[in-house]
Amino acid sequence: MTQYILRRLLLMIPVAFLVTVGIFVLVRLAPGDPVLAYLGEEKDPVSIAAVRREFGLDQPLPVQYVAWLSHALRGDLGRSFHTKQPVIEAITERLPATFELGAAAILISVTLALLVGTLSAVKRNSAVDLLTSSVTLMGVSFPNFFLALLLILLFSYVVPGRIFPPGGYVPLTQDVADNLRRLVLPAVTLATASLAVNLRQVRSSLIDAFGQDYIRTARAKGLAERPVIFRHALKNALIPVVTIIGIQTGAIIEGAFITETIFFWPGVGRLAVQAIPSGDYPIVQGVVLVSALSFMLSTLVVDVLYAFLDPRISYGSARS
Amino acid sequence: MRSFARRNPRMVVGGAVVVLLLFTAAFAPFIAPYDPIKVDVARALLPPTGQHLLGTDDLGRDVLSRVMWGSRVSLSVGVISVSIGFLLGVSLGLAAGYLGGTFDLLAMRVIDALLAFPALVLAIAITAALGPQIQNAMIAIGIVAVPAYARLTRGQVLSVRAREFIVAARAIGVPPLGIVARHIFPNVTNALVVQATLGTAFAILAEAALSFLGLGPQPPYPSWGQDINYSQRYLANFKWWMSAGPGMAIFIAVFAFNFLGDALRDALDPRLRRSA
Repeated sequence: MTQYILRRLLLMIPVAFLVTVGIFVLVRLAPGDPVLAYLGEEKDPVSIAAVRREFGLDQPLPVQYVAWLSHALRGDLGRSFHTKQPVIEAITERLPATFELGAAAILISVTLALLVGTLSAVKRNSAVDLLTSSVTLMGVSFPNFFLALLLILLFSYVVPGRIFPPGGYVPLTQDVADNLRRLVLPAVTLATASLAVNLRQVRSSLIDAFGQDYIRTARAKGLAERPVIFRHALKNALIPVVTIIGIQTGAIIEGAFITETIFFWPGVGRLAVQAIPSGDYPIVQGVVLVSALSFMLSTLVVDVLYAFLDPRISYGSARS
Repeated sequence: MRSFARRNPRMVVGGAVVVLLLFTAAFAPFIAPYDPIKVDVARALLPPTGQHLLGTDDLGRDVLSRVMWGSRVSLSVGVISVSIGFLLGVSLGLAAGYLGGTFDLLAMRVIDALLAFPALVLAIAITAALGPQIQNAMIAIGIVAVPAYARLTRGQVLSVRAREFIVAARAIGVPPLGIVARHIFPNVTNALVVQATLGTAFAILAEAALSFLGLGPQPPYPSWGQDINYSQRYLANFKWWMSAGPGMAIFIAVFAFNFLGDALRDALDPRLRRSA
């Protein structure tokens, strides 16, 4: 097992290297001079040259890349052009809000997927199953920013009492009840797209499991249907579901880009979206790097967890 | 024809909606009832009526006409970005699978690096770097789609490369490019058609998301995502129709391509159907 993890970590190195090269090149492709963006109104050629030298922008690109990477490896992702705040600090102070939103979305998505997916698989081809399949396909096709607006409209203007406010954030440590009330709409929005994928996975894994010999044996020895489903089928069917959930965990920032923007949720996604139009490239670069690394890390954790959960997978061949 | 429809209802329904969308996009200048960018403040914020089926926006522009013109943006981004992903991904997959060795190793690491980014984050990063324009959105979504085609093609090539008909073609002196084009590629097309259809659904959704964030076509030109973003400010006044038109258009287009893609998968690729 240790050997397997080490090999997976080693395989990550060239990929991580290419990821950093990609992010570095992307930012250098961006239109406009980063020095002018950093200096703002200042147009003095001497100051421009000084800043260019200070940031190493007068060096050849490979040298700039090595310098950037060595700083990044030490946790220094530069400073925001506008607030001059260190990028890593800007990201870390917004991570708790993003994690809270992501965790709530995954909780909603997984709970509903398990309940409805199991019901759908047990009552295969029934009206419930057909309805679930249609709703699933609709969920995948519905743009989440449109759903967000509909939810805001519904809970602000149709449902009386404003149970769930249309946006804003109150830290959990400050007021738990208000934090949770404000969390509901963004979390439901973020959960919807992944719910469709999770539900589909739970249903198809369970249907696969129902066709296995051990389920037939369990039924043949007279076991009631409930333990057959929960103790035997669901337990095994959950293994592929773990993969999907793991990947979603890594992709939390992806969904947060839009959801956080609409609901004024002060997370990492909103930070990046606000930085794009103002040309604050260090922030965009930092958020993209953090989201790629967390995505890679979650894929690694999923692979290891998968090998651990399913004894049929040998560590030697588990690399996809 | 009728028996085909009875056997493949999802393909017929999905296909019909896709054809309708393509027709709307192609003939929007002729069938749209009004000019989508012409301002008419006297008719601002009218709710849906017989004259303006989807109402008007704050500048008096007809929402239905903007939705029809917006379909040109969404579908052209869908088709062009899928073509970019298809051409690059399939070429890379065919070359990696057929040539093997160092090229395969390097190509697959590049694909792994592309897969290391969440899809939408990569599309946003590329578009932000290249500048908020429709062409850049197409390039970004196209690049994001490359890994899916490359992996699919490479996998199929590896599975047929050692088969007798390939060995026979090589033995009678067919050049490598001929083998790839005439013998290997046709074996991959079914799976690729399915991927391209589902990929178009993703591309439309991604374009809408990019436009929503201001990274797509710029105002006043109509685009579904951008129009929804613009209409947000009127939700508080309950002017719901400004968002409803483009929102439903995105949903219908994405749903149709997903529906058609699922039906094609069932019809063309029994192996995928079993694993779905």
